[in-house]
Amino acid sequence: MADFEQVATVAEVPPGGRKSVIIDETPALLLRVGDNFYVIEDVCTHDGQPLTDGPLQGCEITCPRHGARFDIRTGKPLCMPATEPVRTFESEVRGNAVFARPRD
Amino acid sequence: MATSSSPTASVPPTSATERRPKFFDRAAFEAFLKTRDEPGWITDLRRKAFDLYGQKFEAPLDPEEFKRIDLRAFRADDYRILPNGAVSATTEFATLLADRASFVGGVAHVNGQATRATLDEKLARQGVLFGDLATLVRDHREIFEPRFMTRAVRPETDRFSAWHGAFWTGGTVLYVPRRVQIEEPLHSLIGLSEPGAADFSHTLVILEEESSATLLEETASVRADAPGLHVGAVELLLGANSSLRYVQLQNWSPRTYHFAHQAGHVERSARLQWTVGGLGARLAHIHQHVSLDGPGAEAQVNGVTFATDRQHISYYTQQTHRAPSTTSDLLYKEVLRDKARVTWRGMIKVEKAAQKTDGYQRSDALLLSSTARCDSIPGLEIEADDVRCTHGATAGRVDEEQIFYCMCRGLSRFEAMHMIVEGFFHSIYDRIPVEAVRETLSKTVERKLGIGD
Repeated sequence: MADFEQVATVAEVPPGGRKSVIIDETPALLLRVGDNFYVIEDVCTHDGQPLTDGPLQGCEITCPRHGARFDIRTGKPLCMPATEPVRTFESEVRGNAVFARPRD
Repeated sequence: MATSSSPTASVPPTSATERRPKFFDRAAFEAFLKTRDEPGWITDLRRKAFDLYGQKFEAPLDPEEFKRIDLRAFRADDYRILPNGAVSATTEFATLLADRASFVGGVAHVNGQATRATLDEKLARQGVLFGDLATLVRDHREIFEPRFMTRAVRPETDRFSAWHGAFWTGGTVLYVPRRVQIEEPLHSLIGLSEPGAADFSHTLVILEEESSATLLEETASVRADAPGLHVGAVELLLGANSSLRYVQLQNWSPRTYHFAHQAGHVERSARLQWTVGGLGARLAHIHQHVSLDGPGAEAQVNGVTFATDRQHISYYTQQTHRAPSTTSDLLYKEVLRDKARVTWRGMIKVEKAAQKTDGYQRSDALLLSSTARCDSIPGLEIEADDVRCTHGATAGRVDEEQIFYCMCRGLSRFEAMHMIVEGFFHSIYDRIPVEAVRETLSKTVERKLGIGD
């Protein structure tokens, strides 16, 4: 299993904020909801393009192009036109730093 | 519920490629020029291309061509052109083609430096030039100045062509004089041996009137785990009544990024037969253009792609008919497995003057797993009113019933899969006239499927 790598500091991403990162050569999006951090692959499974600017409500991110929605905790698709889950990464806060790694 | 308001938080800039890479800034460019012993006209071309590169790097890429290609994970800072002499000539490559046929000449480049150039003496006496661009361009200005990066691939096209125009390191050149026929094939190898090495090689083929040749080119990496970068160009210029068979098999390591502009210009009644193989690379994007410039010109384009793991192989193909009674015929076949992606965007353009055009393009994709993804987008743009243009694309999974049928006859699932893939590619193998290439492709496909040696 791949090692955790630091992707951000806690201060960098305020609650409700986000940061584009690269993990395992994959563009990913780090999101903060309250004090929890979530990392998803930054690609909508419907059209294969970035979710970067998608609005976030609670733990649901909406694709800015066609309105597909995903649960950022599990990757589960919640709304058409997406039918496949988005890949998620494991994240961990250690002190002031946020770490992430692929799940598989 | 649909698309709604703006994002709730500020988003940092996402495109890591917008910044000029550190080994390709102005200081690096000046240092690079000092290492090149080149005549003034080449240095001037490089300077012009470098200025263009600066402008193009700020400008966004054409979304029509690039929106399906994710460049965010591509970190150009990680790559550099290695200094002269950093290559040992004995570096061994697991080449696909070199031992499979007898060649009348061979050129090899490793990390952008020429390491070997041979040509049959009889051909040399007939005036054939075959060797390293960096050397030949110095001694034969009259041949190359009017044609090098002026017609087929121009620096002003986009950031990759400008980047190439400024930093090209060398490459294979073939020049065949009028009425010289080369029966046996020539071989060219482009290799990368060091992690982080960048290759900016330029393949230039010039066929004068009524000449013919076959050039088989392949790319290879010494180490499968080594990241690499290729920003290349291919220019094929065919004079009237000439005939060229050109093959390029791209077989980089799975951690290499490959960007290339490749273009062929075909004059009156000349015939170009062009085969591209896309096997390696992490991300490959090829802008391939055939331009039929003279009446009766003909081009056949074959593409064989096999993408596995997380590879993304992308083609942007154009067939431009500029003169009457011209023929183009493009067939691409793609096999995808795992989480691989293939993108093919094809366009046939028929200009007003090109009446009686016969244009064809087709792409077929076979998906071996449900997680692979293929985007095929054929297109036509026709200004003439008396033409025949046909295009189409298919994509589908392997039929479980076919596999079951094979297994009932004693084949394992693996063998059945191989037979189906082999059969899928067969219609394109049939179009490839060089047996060594057919065999090589077939063997490589076997190896990628996980069977064979």
